[in-house]
Amino acid sequence: MQKIMNMMVNSCKKTTELIDKQLFTPLTAKEKMQLQVHKSMCKTCTAYEHQSKLIDSIIGKWFTGKSKTNVKLPEERKNKILEEINKS
Amino acid sequence: MEVIKENSKKTFENWVNQFSDELFSWALYKTSSKETAEDLVQETFLAAFHKIDTFQGKSQPKTWLFSILNNKVIDHYRLSAKTTKQTFSISENSGYELSDGLFNETENWKNNEINPIWDQEEELLDNPEFNNVMQDCMEDLPQKWKFAVTSKYLTDKNADEICQELEITVSNYWQIVHRAKLLLKKCLEMKWL
Repeated sequence: MQKIMNMMVNSCKKTTELIDKQLFTPLTAKEKMQLQVHKSMCKTCTAYEHQSKLIDSIIGKWFTGKSKTNVKLPEERKNKILEEINKS
Repeated sequence: MEVIKENSKKTFENWVNQFSDELFSWALYKTSSKETAEDLVQETFLAAFHKIDTFQGKSQPKTWLFSILNNKVIDHYRLSAKTTKQTFSISENSGYELSDGLFNETENWKNNEINPIWDQEEELLDNPEFNNVMQDCMEDLPQKWKFAVTSKYLTDKNADEICQELEITVSNYWQIVHRAKLLLKKCLEMKWL
């Protein structure tokens, strides 16, 4: 069964590649179909797609100011920088 | 000459106001020290000011500043490596090996079980401890991969510019991000209990 599956559809490794590739560049019609077929049979890869997006949102949050780790450069330091530049 | 200098001072005033918070939070995340992060941001702006003539406007100012900051961060780690505990990034080769290791010889998942940590999706996003674990996991990535994963958010999503900076092709770029994500997944599943 595993062997037949391998002939018919992409491996999980290849599928996870497509999952991440589509975030950067549009997939071809063939790739889209392969991805759909594989996901319909494989829970682990379907889950990987969610995980990959979640990882994206977490990292994205760090940089969009919505994260709790986001902070502001103190005003004094900003002034100091401008002062240094004006001295140059 | 003086006119050019005066003009760039004006430009820099805008840049400091526009970008210093983002640069600072990035530096803080990289160094975990407020003072170091402030210093690095200051050094970044001064270095940028002194080599403004090398900035040709091919990339966004923000991208350019971030690339200078990243070099400052790397320098900082190089210097502090001698005195403090160094955090080691793995090499790109081990990155490829480790991510390959998630799959068996038929290229399917070695472990088909879906780790229950991923069910808590919404909670994870706002959980500071989880974010810390994630940052630790990021630290382990090869230097280039780390930058590839984050640069999308730092540079207004212009893939061409990012690739230029990393000296890679676009197809290399998404493959690196893909490999990095596999490793992050693996790391999170190991470290987040």
